[in-house]
Amino acid sequence: MITDEVRRTLLAAVDLYPQAREVLRRQLVRLDEPLRVAIAGKVKAGKSTLLNALVGEEIAPTDAGECTKVVTWYRDGPSPRIVQFPQGRSLPVVRRDGALEIALDGPADRLVVDWPSQSLRSTTLIDTPGIASLTTSNSLHATRFLTPDDSTPTEADAVIYLMRHLHSADANFLESFRDQGVARATAINTVAVISRADEIGGGRVDAMISARGIASRYRSDPSLQGLCQNVVAVAGLLAFSGRSLRQNDFVALSALAAVPREELESLLLSADRFADGSVERRALLGRFGVFGIRLAVTLIRQGVTEPSALAAELVARSGLGELQKVLHTQFSERRHLLKARSALLALDGVLRSVGDSRLTGAVERILAGTHEFAELRLLSALRSGTVKVPDLELASRLLGDEGAHPLVRLGLPDGCGPREVGQAAFAALQRWQRHAENPMLTRRAADACRVLIRTCEGLLPRR
Amino acid sequence: MPTTPQQAVELALAAIERYGRPDLERRLHQARARLADDHVRLLVVGEFKQGKSMLVNGLVGAPVCPVSDDVATAVPTVVKHAEVPTVTVVRAEGRTEVPLQELSAFASEEGNPGNRERLLHVEVGLPRPLLAEGLVLVDTPGVGGLSSVHGAATMAALPSADAVLLVSDSSQEYTAPELEFLKQAMAVCPNVACVLTKTDLYPDWRSIADRDRLHLADAGIKAELFTVSSTLRWHALQSGDQAVNAESGYPALVTHLRKKVLAQADLLARRSTLHDVLTVIGQVVDGLRAEQSAQENPESVQQLIRELTEAEQRAAGLKERSARWQQTLSDGVADLNADVDYDLRDRMREIVREAEEALLAGDPQKIWDQFSVWAQQAVTSAVSANSVWATQRARWLAKRVAEHFDSEREQMLPALRVGTADPLRSVPELSVRESDKFGLGSRLLTGLRGGYGGLLMFGLIGTVIGMTLINPISVGAALLLGGKGIVDERKRITTKRQNDCKVALRKYVDDVSFHAGKDSRDMLRGLQRDLRDHFTTLAEQLKRSLQESIQAAQKSVKASQSERDARLTEIKAELAALERVVKQVTA
Repeated sequence: MITDEVRRTLLAAVDLYPQAREVLRRQLVRLDEPLRVAIAGKVKAGKSTLLNALVGEEIAPTDAGECTKVVTWYRDGPSPRIVQFPQGRSLPVVRRDGALEIALDGPADRLVVDWPSQSLRSTTLIDTPGIASLTTSNSLHATRFLTPDDSTPTEADAVIYLMRHLHSADANFLESFRDQGVARATAINTVAVISRADEIGGGRVDAMISARGIASRYRSDPSLQGLCQNVVAVAGLLAFSGRSLRQNDFVALSALAAVPREELESLLLSADRFADGSVERRALLGRFGVFGIRLAVTLIRQGVTEPSALAAELVARSGLGELQKVLHTQFSERRHLLKARSALLALDGVLRSVGDSRLTGAVERILAGTHEFAELRLLSALRSGTVKVPDLELASRLLGDEGAHPLVRLGLPDGCGPREVGQAAFAALQRWQRHAENPMLTRRAADACRVLIRTCEGLLPRR
Repeated sequence: MPTTPQQAVELALAAIERYGRPDLERRLHQARARLADDHVRLLVVGEFKQGKSMLVNGLVGAPVCPVSDDVATAVPTVVKHAEVPTVTVVRAEGRTEVPLQELSAFASEEGNPGNRERLLHVEVGLPRPLLAEGLVLVDTPGVGGLSSVHGAATMAALPSADAVLLVSDSSQEYTAPELEFLKQAMAVCPNVACVLTKTDLYPDWRSIADRDRLHLADAGIKAELFTVSSTLRWHALQSGDQAVNAESGYPALVTHLRKKVLAQADLLARRSTLHDVLTVIGQVVDGLRAEQSAQENPESVQQLIRELTEAEQRAAGLKERSARWQQTLSDGVADLNADVDYDLRDRMREIVREAEEALLAGDPQKIWDQFSVWAQQAVTSAVSANSVWATQRARWLAKRVAEHFDSEREQMLPALRVGTADPLRSVPELSVRESDKFGLGSRLLTGLRGGYGGLLMFGLIGTVIGMTLINPISVGAALLLGGKGIVDERKRITTKRQNDCKVALRKYVDDVSFHAGKDSRDMLRGLQRDLRDHFTTLAEQLKRSLQESIQAAQKSVKASQSERDARLTEIKAELAALERVVKQVTA
């Protein structure tokens, strides 16, 4: 198992280099911790809102203005606790209306929030301040965290990048990830999200459809393909409200659905008209947004009568499910690999700074000898277009682009037996063997075919 | 009801018709022509997807700019007044009129992705009261998209704009790039207003607006902030609901455009026209007055004639080449030429210095792609900064020249032409020729060449002491020298590439400096000519009026008493008529 191998090497390194013991110990601990996923993006891209939606609770403070000022870690813990670094001081846990309130005590460079939550069990989420902020220090915090220099090991294993539309600042930032940033993020561990997707179409009921259209355009944009694994459109606010829908919300929305259609439409022309002095409506607007209310009312009119059904439908329409699926296939299924990769990169940094080469061989052996790494490297190369093979889509899928399960890799429907898997794997094997022998292919393409052949061999059922 | 500038010009023309002064009439005709094509260009700028096109559509009440959920505007759309709706496509080669329904095929990103039709802009004519008042709206493609050439284009258009609207939506407060853009815009065009759009979608728009006002105050930018909702405006336009219209925030914006933007321009137009009219009438009145006083007391005629002759000589002096204002103008333009040129050179030298440092740091072929983009952007922004600076200095110079026309009402400046030409249009792109590859083959050859020399050298020495030509020492020497040969060759190629790139860069910068320098010199020459013509004409008119007065006075000496009385009543009536016109015009 790759984790064990990495652990062995790290333990050997701890013995060899006492001066770097701290760094290496941290890496060892990290191997057993959940995957660290950073949420990054420009100011007001909706990072904290998306984090809340992913967790299903309002633990990241959100506001109309720029809100997140320091890098904040959210991880699973037995009881709620907030610790402020560098002082290491515990802060009081205050909740108001279900929202967590954090009052900083002096200058801070990092906050760690422990929160008991099922969603945080397998991944630690890291909220970052926005880039391109007017408050330069906030911007700097984020940039330093996300693109550390060579001497410090990287903190996050994977990145969710939020953008509202692809701005040149976004593209630059993604590019800087690729060069040096988080875990030398190749396209493999970055997922781009079009956040606040509900606002794209001016809050019309069909806004999500056009947002998905834009996402698919970005997905096929060659300049973005090399920068991230996938582009998904998500309406963060809607997803969060859907996940935390309360009975009184449902009652209020049902009451709205009972209002005559024309009157309601005129009300919903603008946020001001809708709220107009009513505290409850204002609160509703804050939770759902114009789009959320329109959608919910339409759904109730169409015959959704249960709060749970409405919640499920809202979450489904928000695109959160899609994002979760993508995160699962891209990050969770590969978490051992991604964590091992981060650890090896850190170890590599230590070896370089010490100038010792006794363990370099071991690191190289793991990096080169592990087939999963070869797959990841090839996948990244295919995405960025540096290597070209015939049947690009088949190849990406075979390498686990859409999921690591054999059925997904071979493009088979669910419920296929080992027989079908065997046949499909064998067919794929033969296909790639034929390609590998094709004299017209370049050497790199032929190498790529050999990696694919190896993958197919691994998929063949054992006898 | 005050007279419009047009009416004032017509009244004055009618009043002076009988005096047979074609020079003064020409001046009034010019004023009329200037009024006829007076436009106020309002540039609508902002990052993409902020609702710029929706704003323009809302202002004119027609879907003239393409709107879409995805990036929509591909080329600038100019919306101006026309009796019937028209659409004109403007290319570098010329203008073509196209049917209305084809508008979106040219202006939108969907129909014309990345502006592959190579249009300069699309012109839309619409019959609207706001536009008829002389407003021209320019909808620009968003700044900051993936292809940020748009940003440079927008910056280049700034100096020619009379007013700027910066559009940003109320989902978030200003970002650093937006404020930066605003600062630059303020430097070039003082009439800037900010618009916060989509207030219908964001319940917290009020707090965003407050934050933005704070940011503006912090940055020292004095610009008004308007909050609007295009959705509400559309609804109001379609349903005719005045309450909704008021809620949309558009009326305040339109009032601002009328009061601050149009009125400002109108005030300028009114002032200069009024000035023209008053000067023209004043000159006629002066002649009549002189004649009147001569007719009334014939004994003081000689005194009067002497005074008039002196004044005439002064006016003639103003016309002379040696007049002080001429000196100020020519010196000023010469200085300005030198300064602008120095400024441009200095900026370019800085870029070249920085660029060469970057090139020397390593193999330039590896960084060439990024490098050339950076270099071209740096050069573009240097050129536009230089031309903005030149425009500001030229305006200042024009004011200095006008000061020479002391207390006279002649200090009014003509409209100065502003350089809007793009000096980079005719410059070939920065490129370097593909240098020879140092591949395996050439490496082998170089190595062999070095190795062969080493082998022979040491082998021959070996044969002297009785060893064979090929012995361990000579083979070792061959390998050593071969290796050295390869390293040297690689170094040589890198140096050569660096030199190639340096040459290419210098050539590019040189080209740009050449064209930009020519453009700025042209601009200044044009300016000098305009100012000279303007002031010379003024001096000439003054001189002619005085001459006529002298003639009238001389004539009065010879006239008889009865003729004098008749003439005096005539003059009185004429003066009264002219004064009525003045009163009407100044009312």
